[in-house]
Amino acid sequence: MKILVVDDSSVMRRILINSLKQIDLVDIDQADNGEDAVTKALAGDYGLILLDWHLPNMLGIDALKEIRAKGKTMPIIMVTTESEKPSVIQALRAGASNYVTKPFTSERVIEKIRETLTEIPPKAIP
Amino acid sequence: MKVEHINPFIESVYDLFSTMIQCEVKKGDIGVIKSFPQSLDIIGLIGLSGETRGNVAMSFPISTALALVSRLLGTEIRVVDATVSDGIAEIVNIVAGGAKKRLSLGTPSNLSLPTIVRGNSFSIDYPSETVWLEVPFTSELGPFTLRVTFEVIKEK
Repeated sequence: MKILVVDDSSVMRRILINSLKQIDLVDIDQADNGEDAVTKALAGDYGLILLDWHLPNMLGIDALKEIRAKGKTMPIIMVTTESEKPSVIQALRAGASNYVTKPFTSERVIEKIRETLTEIPPKAIP
Repeated sequence: MKVEHINPFIESVYDLFSTMIQCEVKKGDIGVIKSFPQSLDIIGLIGLSGETRGNVAMSFPISTALALVSRLLGTEIRVVDATVSDGIAEIVNIVAGGAKKRLSLGTPSNLSLPTIVRGNSFSIDYPSETVWLEVPFTSELGPFTLRVTFEVIKEK
C-alpha cells in the first residue's frame, strides 16, 4: 500500500514515517504543502494519506476538500494541533476518515491508522 | 494577563513530554521578566493573534535542543542544522496549539508560523511595556524555559 505523508515539518513527517514503518507500511511519499498534497493525491494511487492542517500555500482542510471534490475516496487522517471540537467536526464533514491530535504517541497514531484502514471510505458531507 | 493564564502552556508542555518525547519534565517557579536575557540558546517563537494575542517563546540550550530532536526522531543528532530548527519549531507549535485549546476563554485566536532564532549571541527585544511570565523546566534531556506574554481583548 502506498502512503502519502503531508506536513510542512520534516521532523513531523519523519516521526509519522517511523510509526508507519513499525506496521510495515514502507512505500511512502511526502509532501510539505497543500498544493503538492492535492497534486500527488490526484495523480497517485494512495491507500492512505496523513494530512496536517496548517500547511503553506493551501491549508490541509482545503486540500482535503479538493481531494474529495475530485472524487478521491482514499482514507485520509488529519494529524494536527487543531484539537477543538469545531475543527474536528469541520474536518470530518469535509471528508476526513479520522483525526489524530498532536502531540501523540506512536501507539496512538498506529491505532488510528489500523482503525481507519478497516472502515468504509467516507465521502464529504454536502 | 493573569498568572494562571500560563497554566495551559505548562500543561501542554507536560502533555508533549509524556507522549511524543516520553521523558519526565519538572517545572520550576513561575517568574515575571521584562526582557529576554542574552543567550546562546535556540529560541522558538510563535505568535497568538485574534482576541487573545501575544507571544510564546521556548528557549533551549544547544545540548537540550539536540537531545530533544534526537529523541523525537529516534536517532542521534549531533549538529544544529535545519532539522533541529524544524524540530524546535514543531515543539513550540505543539505546545502553543495545546495551550490554545486549554485557554478556553471563548475567544478565537490563531497561531502564527513558528520562528526559530539561533546564533552565537543575540538579544530579543519587545515593546518596553511587555511583561513575560517565565517558567524554567528541567528534564532528563536537559533544561529549557517557557515564556509567555499575551492579552485577552475580550474575555467571557
